[in-house]
Amino acid sequence: MSDGPERDPSRAPERGPERGSDREPARRPEARSGSEPETRSELDPDTLRLDAAVRAAYRAVPARDAQAEARVLARLARPRPAGVHWWPESQRFELRPRVAVALLALVLLAGAWGGARWAERSARARGSLAGAGGTAAGPLAARPSGVPVTFVLRAPGATSVCVVGDFNSWDAAATPLAHAGSGDLWIANVELPRGVHLYSFVLDGAEWRPDPSAPLAPDDAFGGHNSVIVVAGAKSL
Amino acid sequence: MTRARRRAARGLAALFACAALALFTSAPSARAADARSDEARLRARLAPEVVQQVLAIVHEAREAGLPADPLVARALEGASRGADAAGIVAGVRRQSAALAQSRTALGAAAAADEIVAGASALMAGVPADSLARLRAARAGGSLVIPLVVLCDLVARGVPVDAASVAVLTAARAGATDLALLRIRERIHSRIESGGAPAGVASEIVRQWLREGPGHSRHDPAENPVKRSEIP
Repeated sequence: MSDGPERDPSRAPERGPERGSDREPARRPEARSGSEPETRSELDPDTLRLDAAVRAAYRAVPARDAQAEARVLARLARPRPAGVHWWPESQRFELRPRVAVALLALVLLAGAWGGARWAERSARARGSLAGAGGTAAGPLAARPSGVPVTFVLRAPGATSVCVVGDFNSWDAAATPLAHAGSGDLWIANVELPRGVHLYSFVLDGAEWRPDPSAPLAPDDAFGGHNSVIVVAGAKSL
Repeated sequence: MTRARRRAARGLAALFACAALALFTSAPSARAADARSDEARLRARLAPEVVQQVLAIVHEAREAGLPADPLVARALEGASRGADAAGIVAGVRRQSAALAQSRTALGAAAAADEIVAGASALMAGVPADSLARLRAARAGGSLVIPLVVLCDLVARGVPVDAASVAVLTAARAGATDLALLRIRERIHSRIESGGAPAGVASEIVRQWLREGPGHSRHDPAENPVKRSEIP
């Protein structure tokens, strides 16, 4: 236990006792009152004997326990399954708090990422089924992360108006607009996922017309212009 | 290292190995699900030979890390517009090339929406270095709205150079997305009133700069249609 040079307990210390050290001699309460003896020779014999006994106890080496040593060696020599020997045994698992917090954050992030991917794939699968099969309310109403958007077109004389876009696989039968009252307004409320979407209106099943109130996209390579809607957060721009 | 620490290290290694395995197995399965979904949508609307060609382009784009949904949507749009097979495949291939060029111009860190909007701008004739300048002018901010406005101006007849300068000038002056959309509406309104597209864009931007980038005046006469205001 003692790391420093050993000292003869009967010799008086050349300097003061070491604070906090195991070798600090026991003091009597009255020693703090100013009458503390300056040299060990001035201490009474009982104190010196007690001091020597304490120092001897610290230096004493415990006797070897042959049985305990044999048990430990036998345990160490016992064969274990290669590779996974730590798995079936009870283990003491220690983690630094910062490592535990980092690990927890990692698990939470992985869970969030996996959940988002799962939700995205589910929504995509529902959209693809409806797009291929073709019911009017299918792909748009089913998306869980959709943002409500209202499409409005003033189309005098039209008998039917639909909105087509990348959000409904450009299916002219998927999202019809409803005639609003007796005027020329056609309206459809749909839910769109966040992002940039191209769309157009189809009048009477034949005439493609971009939204006059929305930004235009460049020529689509098929001889027409589409409109652009950017769905961001709770509102569309 | 003590034995307990070795055990802890082994436990952590096993945990990370499981997490890595889960990540590496879930990503390909998600891509496979996307591919099956794309194929089902295309087969419902296009001839089998067109589907195969489009799927090949989509697969290449997806492997290159490009957004593939716009390619499928482009093919479906072509089908809805009655384009022939060659036109559909050419349109998809052209957009795929534009997506790759857009990502190169905007940087690898560009968001998917920015890449798509940049591809539209490139297909409208905007040079790639204009996209890079826009990226530099709005470092850290989204380029979706600036690119949408740029495409709109070009589609309404503003020459590419004039439109690029107008949007870039506004972006460098700190124009917000809302400010850019209002600039677009004012340009649109002036063009519909008979203004020459070539001069209107720069004139409106100069006017906006004179008013100050913080100016947010809303003139109902210049915003004739607001969806939220229609019952």
